[in-house]
Amino acid sequence: MNNSLRGSRTSAQIVASPCRRWMYGRGALIPRMGGALWLGVLLVSACARPWTKPEPTPEPILEPIRVSDAVGLGDPARRASTRLVVQGLDADQAGETERAQGSYERAVQVDATNPYAYLALARHHLDGSDIEHATHLIDQAAALFEAEGMREPRVGVHLIGLRGRAMQMSEEDADAALYLDRAAVMAPAVWGDAYLSAEELR
Amino acid sequence: MSRARRIVRTLGRVAGMLAFAVGLGLSSWIIELDRVVVDRFEGRTFAVPSKVYSAPLVVYPGMDWQRIDLAGWLLRLGYREQPEGGPLEAGRYEWSPGALRVNLRAFSHPLRPEPARELRFRLARSVIQEIEDVRTRESVDVVVLEPEPVSAFLGSDREQRDLVRLDELPIHLIDAVYAVEDKRFEQHHGVDLRRVIGAMLANLRAGRIEQGASTLTQQLVKNFFLTPERTFSRKVREALMALIVEARYEKPEILQAYLNEIYLGQRGATAVHGVGEASRMYFGKPASELTVAESALIAAIIQSPNGISPHRRPERAVARRNLVLELMYAQGRLSKRSFEAASTEPLRVAAIASETGEVRYFLDALSHQLPEVYAGPVLSSEGLRIYSTLDPRMQRAAARALREGLERIEKRVPKSRGKAAPLQGCLIALRPQTGEILALVGGRDYGSSQFNRCTQARRQAGSVFKPIVYVSALDRSSGPAATLASLLDDQPFQVPVPNGQPWRPQNYDHEYHGLVTVREALERSLNVPAARLGQEVGIDRVVAMAHKLGISSPLPRVPSLALGTAELSPIEVARAYSTLANGGRRPTPRTFVDVVQAGGLAHENSPLQGPVPVLDPATAYLAVNLLEGVIDRGTAANVRAIGMVGPIAGKTGTTDEEYDLWFVGFTPEIVAVVWVGYDVPASIGIPSSQGALPIWTDFMKEVTGTHIRGAFPRPAGLRHESIDPLTGALALAGCPAHVDELFLEGTAPTHTCPRGEPINEQRQPSVIRRTLKRLFGGG
Repeated sequence: MNNSLRGSRTSAQIVASPCRRWMYGRGALIPRMGGALWLGVLLVSACARPWTKPEPTPEPILEPIRVSDAVGLGDPARRASTRLVVQGLDADQAGETERAQGSYERAVQVDATNPYAYLALARHHLDGSDIEHATHLIDQAAALFEAEGMREPRVGVHLIGLRGRAMQMSEEDADAALYLDRAAVMAPAVWGDAYLSAEELR
Repeated sequence: MSRARRIVRTLGRVAGMLAFAVGLGLSSWIIELDRVVVDRFEGRTFAVPSKVYSAPLVVYPGMDWQRIDLAGWLLRLGYREQPEGGPLEAGRYEWSPGALRVNLRAFSHPLRPEPARELRFRLARSVIQEIEDVRTRESVDVVVLEPEPVSAFLGSDREQRDLVRLDELPIHLIDAVYAVEDKRFEQHHGVDLRRVIGAMLANLRAGRIEQGASTLTQQLVKNFFLTPERTFSRKVREALMALIVEARYEKPEILQAYLNEIYLGQRGATAVHGVGEASRMYFGKPASELTVAESALIAAIIQSPNGISPHRRPERAVARRNLVLELMYAQGRLSKRSFEAASTEPLRVAAIASETGEVRYFLDALSHQLPEVYAGPVLSSEGLRIYSTLDPRMQRAAARALREGLERIEKRVPKSRGKAAPLQGCLIALRPQTGEILALVGGRDYGSSQFNRCTQARRQAGSVFKPIVYVSALDRSSGPAATLASLLDDQPFQVPVPNGQPWRPQNYDHEYHGLVTVREALERSLNVPAARLGQEVGIDRVVAMAHKLGISSPLPRVPSLALGTAELSPIEVARAYSTLANGGRRPTPRTFVDVVQAGGLAHENSPLQGPVPVLDPATAYLAVNLLEGVIDRGTAANVRAIGMVGPIAGKTGTTDEEYDLWFVGFTPEIVAVVWVGYDVPASIGIPSSQGALPIWTDFMKEVTGTHIRGAFPRPAGLRHESIDPLTGALALAGCPAHVDELFLEGTAPTHTCPRGEPINEQRQPSVIRRTLKRLFGGG
């Protein structure tokens, strides 16, 4: 099960707190200073207290991930692969589904560990009602995002939403509603209509 | 009535009856010939073998253009170097210091076409720094080059042709053919009487047959319907059929059929027919791009394709080409300027791309994966274009590594040469995320043995099976689980076997090592601990895990299964290891992407399938980590010794008496399996680390270089702990040895080494941790 579904406290909320980022983020003080931070406990608790209370639903996220955000990232193979994913999304948007499929496959050929390629392929397969393949591709994307440390809700929301859509198409309506509602709460601008378009993912 | 008149009348009747009979016979003969002509022309005119293409080459800035053999790719696709500056024609390229300019041809595909465009690659040593579209001056992020033709499914006649339409051929090619073969083609009706009379007179004068008078139509008829024998009756038949063809069909249809049918040379054992295929063979480009001189050369060799072969007899070919150019000029088909330019053009023919036999193994595997509708005759006659997953560079590297590796073994172990059948081997490489088969060499020489050892052979797996036993033990979903730090007893033991002698496993070195950790046992490929673990886990669980990972062969439920006594094919071993490399998600092997009909319509699609999750990703990662240890410290440490760095995991496997040598190795993006052995099992005389492993390293070094890209994706749910390797317990202060070990969350040992500080049931977090955890939650 995706991390984002597990608890009501999301990593986005942790990221949202400068105090917590100061303590837990890269180069954080606590892991480095260990027991010497006893004296900082009071300060810590003051910073953290407002976020320790569990909340029933995740807060809306304004910006789920987009593939174009990742275009310049990674080594040359990853950059080329992500560019091909963008080309695929453009083709999907233009209704050239076969061409899109070709671009996604080329993206995987260039970098088989690029999670964006599988995410876009999963979306593409769902558009083509190929639910079984889409579900496996969502799993693949989720595993690769997780392995790259991208566990934040702005990634998770697409995985939740796409799983929900796959369930909806498989007529597992109760579960689908649960997933799609959650995605809609997390990113209403994108998932409010229970559908992720190529443009929204691009 | 006089007798004479009666005789005349009778004779007249007889003559009339004879004439009627002859007329009737002639008519029915003509009707029969007409039926034969119509059947051929209205039905499928040509059997066109289906062609198989590689995966395309994707090029982007930052790539090592020498490693991907960009120059070789262009040559194999028929691109030719521009000898002098100036604008580049389509299909040409030009090197200059630090740059490569290529005028890419359009790639025609109904679903994934690529445009023609001129690109400039800016190069810094071996790296592509930038790609620029010459026309728009814009940077290009990624370029997909057209796939390389790999091979074809030939019929029993071994004819290869590439059908062309008349409207796509340059007019000078047609003019050249007219000029030398049939200058009155557009005037006659199948038989050129003027030419027949002229030829007869010339032959009479010479006293031997010196000139032929066959029109293009007659040549077509001869090739389509008749034997090459030179008899009067055959000539009459040929003339009659030519008249029928001309009466029934338009000139352009006849010419197009002729240009696709005509024999134009040999590519090895394959007969090349038609100007389309000849253009590719001699000039490495489509017929639509032929120049005047090239067109004249093709027309020139119609007379005697092997006698005037531009590859074997270039002087004769040039002389005959120039004769054709003279005829074209004399007949007003060529301007003086063009004639002079073409006559002085040096002969530049492409090298014949010799197909390596090893690729046929891949083709066999592909044909088995195609749906049944593509049974043999369809593949050899329908002219399909099959786009495969094959990486031609990897395929060549695999073929070379296997061939040289087997020769090396034979040198090293001279007795291996004296066997009745030669030492064999196979190499298969897959992309673990998608199951795409990137390279497959199923044997040493396809010509002498078509048995595909990668897909059809079932051989004892030996130690390459052991990781499956270990994964069964690490997997918590089906019962109590071991950890990498669990201790196994490497001491003699036996397993009772019903109605037989007890089974007593032994190590390869016939020694015992006492207590060893799971990690050490696998890294050293110890048999006894693996057999013991198999017993503890239960053979049923091992069998279930093997099938989950992708093993499809039946597995014997016997204790020795843990040591790999099951017979497996290399392709299923590759699949099982791909599942581990891909975080517990099992891919489906795939050899082709799509099939396109001769007319250009998409026919069959094999979309990329998502792999099926079958194993917890964290458990799969543990297995990968364990197998990385085999490379770093274990039986496959030679991989590091030759300088390969980066994420590599693998396992050696040597069966009893060294009958089978295996090595399975993988990086985050490639899983490759090597098997070496005799078809009739016999001892090879060396272990896998000296036989199969060097073949794997040769292959990988050529394909990836010595620096492997990326990292094995590490999922959540894992943590490192320091343990005492002697006891498998947590190593705290005071323990004699500390080793960092990886555990699934919640499976780390809860006791410390005997001399360490005692702790309670569970290792307690520090006070700081507990306080922070209480404050913030999580951990």
